[in-house]
Amino acid sequence: MIKHHPSEEWLTKFVSGDLPASISSAIAIHAEMCPVCQAQIELLTEKAATALEISEAPLVASNQSNDEVTADFSLYGLDIDDMIADITSDISIEPATASANLTLEVKGNSYPLPRALNAIDMGSFSGLGKISRAKLQLNEGEIHTHLLHMEAGGKVPVHTHKGYELTLLLAGTFSDDMGEYSPGDFILLDGQHQHQPYSKDGCLCLTVVNDALHFTQGISKLLNPIGQYIY
Amino acid sequence: MNKEIQIHDTGQGTANKLSGLTSTLQVKDPESVTPEKRIASKSMSNENTADKQTASVDQGTGDPDSKQLAAWLIAVANQRDKQAFAKLFTWFAPKIQRVSQRKFNNENLSVEIVQETMTNVWRKAHLYYPEKGAATTWIYTIMRNVSFDLLRKMKSQQNEILSDDIWPMAEQANDDEHEFRDHLLDQQMLNLVEKLPDAQKEVLRAVYFQELTQEQLAKQLNIPLGTVKSRLRLALTKLKQQMANTDENSDTKKSARGEKHD
Repeated sequence: MIKHHPSEEWLTKFVSGDLPASISSAIAIHAEMCPVCQAQIELLTEKAATALEISEAPLVASNQSNDEVTADFSLYGLDIDDMIADITSDISIEPATASANLTLEVKGNSYPLPRALNAIDMGSFSGLGKISRAKLQLNEGEIHTHLLHMEAGGKVPVHTHKGYELTLLLAGTFSDDMGEYSPGDFILLDGQHQHQPYSKDGCLCLTVVNDALHFTQGISKLLNPIGQYIY
Repeated sequence: MNKEIQIHDTGQGTANKLSGLTSTLQVKDPESVTPEKRIASKSMSNENTADKQTASVDQGTGDPDSKQLAAWLIAVANQRDKQAFAKLFTWFAPKIQRVSQRKFNNENLSVEIVQETMTNVWRKAHLYYPEKGAATTWIYTIMRNVSFDLLRKMKSQQNEILSDDIWPMAEQANDDEHEFRDHLLDQQMLNLVEKLPDAQKEVLRAVYFQELTQEQLAKQLNIPLGTVKSRLRLALTKLKQQMANTDENSDTKKSARGEKHD
């Protein structure tokens, strides 16, 4: 039974594409396991899409010739007819690629790889004792994303998080001072938490952390990493 | 998947039942046609290729409603209808541009988003399912995905397309194997029809797309009715063979895809 879910604020930003790839992937995987969040995402998507319903004049006025079927407003001086002709000149369709079912092998255990991670490059698993992890090469600056594997009886040393730590439990179970978690749980911790995860029977998690360095600027920085790339 | 292809008796004047070529060459098993599919193919044939249909679209002076938008999208999917696409483009492009411009405050980027989004609408229209949501919502998700990947490319110099896996679209297709196949079938069929000899193509199109009876067609082309019938039979036989071939090919691909790796 999933008890921990992304906040509505995060779901909203997920829907509008405003979260980093790491967190977006985590939410996508959670939603695949959680019908409640899946349904909410669908609702939020419909709501977000109303941004495209607002009927107002095109930014650049059209040369009115109402009976023409073709477009004749201009888009920053680009010829709309040309754009349309260009796009439609190739009548081939995008082949519908069904999701490949990939499997992840860690220390003799095999797990289905969540679809959201299919296209992401991954380092190899390495670690000490019963804990091993593999880095996902998302290249998101101070945000680091890993797959974390704990063998049965594995224990992560007591730690606090200087930044935030998101843990999405993919398979198996683990527990900490705050309770027991089951697959699909979306656990967000900040620096105030101190915990010592322990897995009696082993588990696989997706973890996303951001560094303290950056973190002083607050969670909004994590939520809105896109702004800095653009402006 | 073994597909049986049914050929109507071309001598019975069945030409009036013009639900389109697809249904003639359709999967035989009637159980496999879901009620939704029937509705879908019905609305499909309502919006069918004939130019008069596209023309009726022009009469609207006000904003298109959601039904209209969905109909255009379906026409793009099933007939590669360029007129319908132009309608969608003129309706959505300024909106996509405005939303992107507000969000990113970057002129080049917003134009690129318009271009990429509309290209994907053209190329992926067959993945739109009207019963699953409004056309506007679907196009919004295309825009969102395009923006997400473009931004990631700018920011991280990462070229992989992640959005398709984060917000999977084909997953919906998996739920509805039949409809999914049918959309592809339409496209396949149109391609195959294109390859037929001109005389056969002409007869096939007239009977199945333009709703002429064989008698009318014979008169119009000024050829004997028997010639119409034999051309039609040849064309359908050829289509049937080719459909069988493409089906074998796609089966091969499917089994190759099932492999696992780590």
